[in-house]
Amino acid sequence: MEAPAENFFTPVVPLDFVYNYRVGPYIERYLRGFKDKKILGSKCPGCGKVVVPARMYCGPCNRRMEELVEVSQEGSLENYTIGHVILEKGAIKPAKGPYMLGLINLDGTDSLLLGRVEGVSVAAAKPGLRVKAVWKEELDGDFKDLDHFEPV
Amino acid sequence: MNRKIAIAGYRMKAASDLVTTRERLTFELTRGLFDDLGIDRDHVGTTIFATNDFLDGRTISNVFLDPPAGVYMRDESKVEMDGLSALVYACMRILSGQYETALLVAFGLCGSQVSPYLHVEYTLNPTYDRQLGLLNELSAAGLQARSFLNKFGYSEDLLDEIAARNLRNAALNRDQARGIKDASAKDIKDSSYLYEPLRELHTYPATDGGCAVLLASETKAKELTDKPVWILGMGQSIESYYLGERNLYESRSTREASGRAYAMAGIDKPEAEVDFAEVSSLFAQQEPILTEALGLYGPGDAEKAYAGDNGIAGSLPVNPSGGPLGAHPICATGLFRLNEAIKQLRGEAGKNQVKKAEIGVVHGQDGVCAQQNTVVVLGI
Ligand SMILES: [Zn+2]
Repeated sequence: MEAPAENFFTPVVPLDFVYNYRVGPYIERYLRGFKDKKILGSKCPGCGKVVVPARMYCGPCNRRMEELVEVSQEGSLENYTIGHVILEKGAIKPAKGPYMLGLINLDGTDSLLLGRVEGVSVAAAKPGLRVKAVWKEELDGDFKDLDHFEPV
Repeated sequence: MNRKIAIAGYRMKAASDLVTTRERLTFELTRGLFDDLGIDRDHVGTTIFATNDFLDGRTISNVFLDPPAGVYMRDESKVEMDGLSALVYACMRILSGQYETALLVAFGLCGSQVSPYLHVEYTLNPTYDRQLGLLNELSAAGLQARSFLNKFGYSEDLLDEIAARNLRNAALNRDQARGIKDASAKDIKDSSYLYEPLRELHTYPATDGGCAVLLASETKAKELTDKPVWILGMGQSIESYYLGERNLYESRSTREASGRAYAMAGIDKPEAEVDFAEVSSLFAQQEPILTEALGLYGPGDAEKAYAGDNGIAGSLPVNPSGGPLGAHPICATGLFRLNEAIKQLRGEAGKNQVKKAEIGVVHGQDGVCAQQNTVVVLGI
């Protein structure tokens, strides 16, 4: 947000901070999996559900998810939105072009993974559409390695 | 509840830019409320702020608010959430028997001083969603809107109808920051897409606003006002942060919270016993999602409801004030719903007045896609 021109002094309050955020072993292993083009979920010993990305605690069971499991790279598109804008530090800016974000249910999992979706028209975007993960050419063990999803 | 609690009075104020400071707004709201009630700060037992440090740009931001709110050598505390959560806390303080009155002060200055969307970007899971950069308040709302429309087979036109209705109602209400007189569904459809199916006018406006509310025990309330509004029931509930583990077309935690509030109020059939609702729907699709969760309309009934039943003149009005599409002062929005309900119950809502107003239900939310919800039942 720009500082407005007013008849009183309006300073810009700087908020410039860096956190070294410890992500925990599951996200570490999740990202290490990306280097081998693997997607890891965690499985709850209580309800048996598998969630992606892997995380450590199940809310409904209040239990620690002990097991990491590799999940399918294919799944179904359950929900989507077409972005016409991007948000940059809280400011709405026009996107270069419309782009699709999807919530994808990877086979064998009980959660939806958010990702970019390419090659699907709005007319074809129906719940249940089969999609697969597409990886970046050079893998860095970073969130962005899993580049997008496209139709199978 | 072991003691009855009433709202004795309130002050509220909203605009796209109030051209004010946090302290001046706090002073005008609280001093104005004291003057309305003919009291001074000595009548206030305890004070609770609902503000957000991130939005205020300073940590423990309430320390600067004590002087303008008249809190000097007294106790004061803060809830860094929606004001309806602060109201629940204030009620507990009165129920403890330690206090006869509790002052609530809530505000957000996201019209003029900080972007409202930035705050949600910093709400996101820092180790995953924030790194990926795809999720934000608006993309999440786009996904929620799509999920709702797909689930019940509605077209995007329904979102336009909802927004047009609210902006027309808001235009009648001087306490709103934005309204569009005679807004039509076409006016809404003429606004640009943000995240399809969500358009600009389906979303809340960046708002400056705040309010002060005085709660009082039964004895004290009757001394302070001849128009007390009673708190009959309250409930709160929270669900998973992870959107991928929730059905975005429904609000399970609101259903849970309203069940508790209705049980406390002795309400068995909300659709028959509640006269109107004021809900914190920040985006058009949230209004039918929330009213369904509050047990006021059935799932899949939205098209029928927006044909008239839930309008100002309808049988069960929803957001006759125009709701948060007219103003969303973050942290104060739930209390704005409360104040709008008080106006209805006292018969002071002017052009927004509904026909019958004896029992009203109000709702406040926090988190992405209404992760945490508070429901309060009010009556006269
Ligand atoms: Zn579990």
